[in-house]
Amino acid sequence: MSLTDRIARGLESGWNVTDSALLTQNLTTEADVIVIGTGAGGGTTAEILARSGLSVILVEEGRLYYQKDFKMDEQTSYANLYQEGMSRVTRDGAIAILQGRCVGGSTTVNWTSSFRTPAPTLNYWAEQFGLDELRPDAMAPWFDGREERHSMAPWQVDPNVNNDILRQGCEKLGYSWQIIPRNVKGCWNLGYCGVGCPTNAKQGALMTTIPGALDNNARLFHSLRADRLVMNQDQIDHLEASAFADDGVTPTGIKVNLKARHFVVAASAIGSPGLLLRSEIPDPNQRIGKRSFIHPVNATVAQMPQRVDPYYGAPQSIYSDEFNFRNGVDGPAGYKLEVPPLHPGMSSGVIPGHGENQINNMAGLPHMQSVIALLRDGFHPESPGGTVSLRDDGSPVLDYPVSDYLWKGIREAFHTMAEIQFAAGAEKVRLMHLDSDWYTNWADAKAAINQLPMAPHRVRLFTAHQMGGCAMGSNPQNSVVNGFGEHHHVGNLSVHDASIFPTSIGANPQLSVYALAARNSTRLAQRLS
Amino acid sequence: MNDHPPPSNSRDFTNLDRRSFLKTGLGGALFLGTVSVTAGLSGCATQPAGRLSAVGTRMDASYQFRFLTADDIALFEALLPAMIGPGLPEQPQARNTAIAGTIERIDAGIHKFGPANQKELRRLFDLLNFGLTRVTVARVWSSWPNVTTAEADAFLERWRTSRIGLFNNGYIALTKISNVAFYGYRDFWHLSGYPGPPQYAVDALPQFQNA
Repeated sequence: MSLTDRIARGLESGWNVTDSALLTQNLTTEADVIVIGTGAGGGTTAEILARSGLSVILVEEGRLYYQKDFKMDEQTSYANLYQEGMSRVTRDGAIAILQGRCVGGSTTVNWTSSFRTPAPTLNYWAEQFGLDELRPDAMAPWFDGREERHSMAPWQVDPNVNNDILRQGCEKLGYSWQIIPRNVKGCWNLGYCGVGCPTNAKQGALMTTIPGALDNNARLFHSLRADRLVMNQDQIDHLEASAFADDGVTPTGIKVNLKARHFVVAASAIGSPGLLLRSEIPDPNQRIGKRSFIHPVNATVAQMPQRVDPYYGAPQSIYSDEFNFRNGVDGPAGYKLEVPPLHPGMSSGVIPGHGENQINNMAGLPHMQSVIALLRDGFHPESPGGTVSLRDDGSPVLDYPVSDYLWKGIREAFHTMAEIQFAAGAEKVRLMHLDSDWYTNWADAKAAINQLPMAPHRVRLFTAHQMGGCAMGSNPQNSVVNGFGEHHHVGNLSVHDASIFPTSIGANPQLSVYALAARNSTRLAQRLS
Repeated sequence: MNDHPPPSNSRDFTNLDRRSFLKTGLGGALFLGTVSVTAGLSGCATQPAGRLSAVGTRMDASYQFRFLTADDIALFEALLPAMIGPGLPEQPQARNTAIAGTIERIDAGIHKFGPANQKELRRLFDLLNFGLTRVTVARVWSSWPNVTTAEADAFLERWRTSRIGLFNNGYIALTKISNVAFYGYRDFWHLSGYPGPPQYAVDALPQFQNA
């Protein structure tokens, strides 16, 4: 393996990294701070705390995969890098959940879109949840800092055809569109961000904050699941964790106890509420796991006359916010429009079908184009979000009922997406819906969209953005942590991930997580030093 | 929530009023739970198939099954010809190899799903394998090794078009794991016209060079 790889070089230089699969006996150790999770929130926290001179232990349930493992292959990546081997769904099975499970978390597999938290969202938080200190002006320096740390900039290369069709359709219809900022350095424009960046161009946690933390003497345990935070009186005393074998899923029976002065939970909007619930952390108003948001995603696919090759090129480079805040921040559901990459495994899994129909769908892949709508949930009384709770085995599960308010937004988004694809010259369009045909003109598609049932399972829904469940707010009655991610009731507990968002974001959330984690970790470092 | 009924070709369940089914949704879930127990008691294969003998099977004898039982394998042998249809090679040996390899990759994929989703799939597969529920719930009259491709297709179509969410969910689970295991595999990329990762990148990147 080439030692130009950041991770290979670091391991060679003696980073303190423990593959918990290799542990042969139980272990107890300690540090100033235990950080649970190595994604956008955990990585940022670990780097900032370690640089300030604190001793830090990072705990990751997934395994350490890096360039040597990233071979642009869907099947191995979905099995190894995603939660539940890419089979995670909501409790009723109606919404597929795409979420990373590896060192770097979802930043290792995301499509690199890097947006600041929209100003209307931050202002809404200030007004509704007493988070005045997070107004856009106050957050601007933190966004600046993280944009620099993760090399975020609007994509300078021409968009691939898949993205350009969204641009063309918007242009024809007079809808606004913009170029997406991406967190990449020396990107080869290959199109495999979702299966682990093969060139180390993606500047997610894996290439930035994790190496930064390890260079500053942080210790990483991977293949180690945080089971339970154990309280002693009103403080957390230690974390109980258990190891997985090198397949990432089989428990080895080895237990690790980690003691610390302070504990930062950054295990995602499903994992963090899950850990706090398992730990029976004080929750007098039963707020843990409530108000979970997901940016519900629906999609259409189009058959284009030209070659699209939707599996090649930067997966996301064009977006449209025409419909995102157009009805005000808290009106009928708004949605952001983007494009997903289409590789054969993923496409065959998300386009519902079998037999001859499916092979015909799949045979059109080189000419296939897709648009997705990300609904902005959580800004309206009829969009209260979902609930994370525990299964009998202690694992977290998200229950997300789709309200009529959201179904209305989903139907509108189908209209918009099909209209854009026909405007851009699509020969035919179909919805990601069990009852959809291919429609050869906009009038037919429009009529069908008005008729088709907007119902769970029949509409194929997805989420790649999990938020909320440990909401921040100034009032402990309706929140779990304060505006600095500090738990309202337990003094040595903080939450530094997307679970603290009191609504969804209205944009891909990685930069929102990086920026808030940087701000809150800087404060935490001062407190602890 | 459901503004318009879906197309009316879900004829097999017209006697099952949707509202009353949803009311008994909990009962339905419990019923599925009991199937796994009953299936075990009545002699269905309940252990992972492990390493099957190459004789009498079309499997790669070196593959160790972690989740699928011998009955599950028979189920997928019956479903895949309908699931993939004309995508499967016609030449018998190539066809058998394609089916066997896909079933192995389905097993390998499910191994990574973790306990919670494995439990859900176990209920689904037991429901389909257990004679009583196969007939009454899936409306498949023959045992899977005797099911024709047309019958398997009709079953999938019933569950796709059913107005009962539980069956739609079963349809999605079955097609998703099968489609990803088939179309996502390099031997079948040509069916979707996917050329694979760009060759210049493969040639240039260190992880593809033989260590």
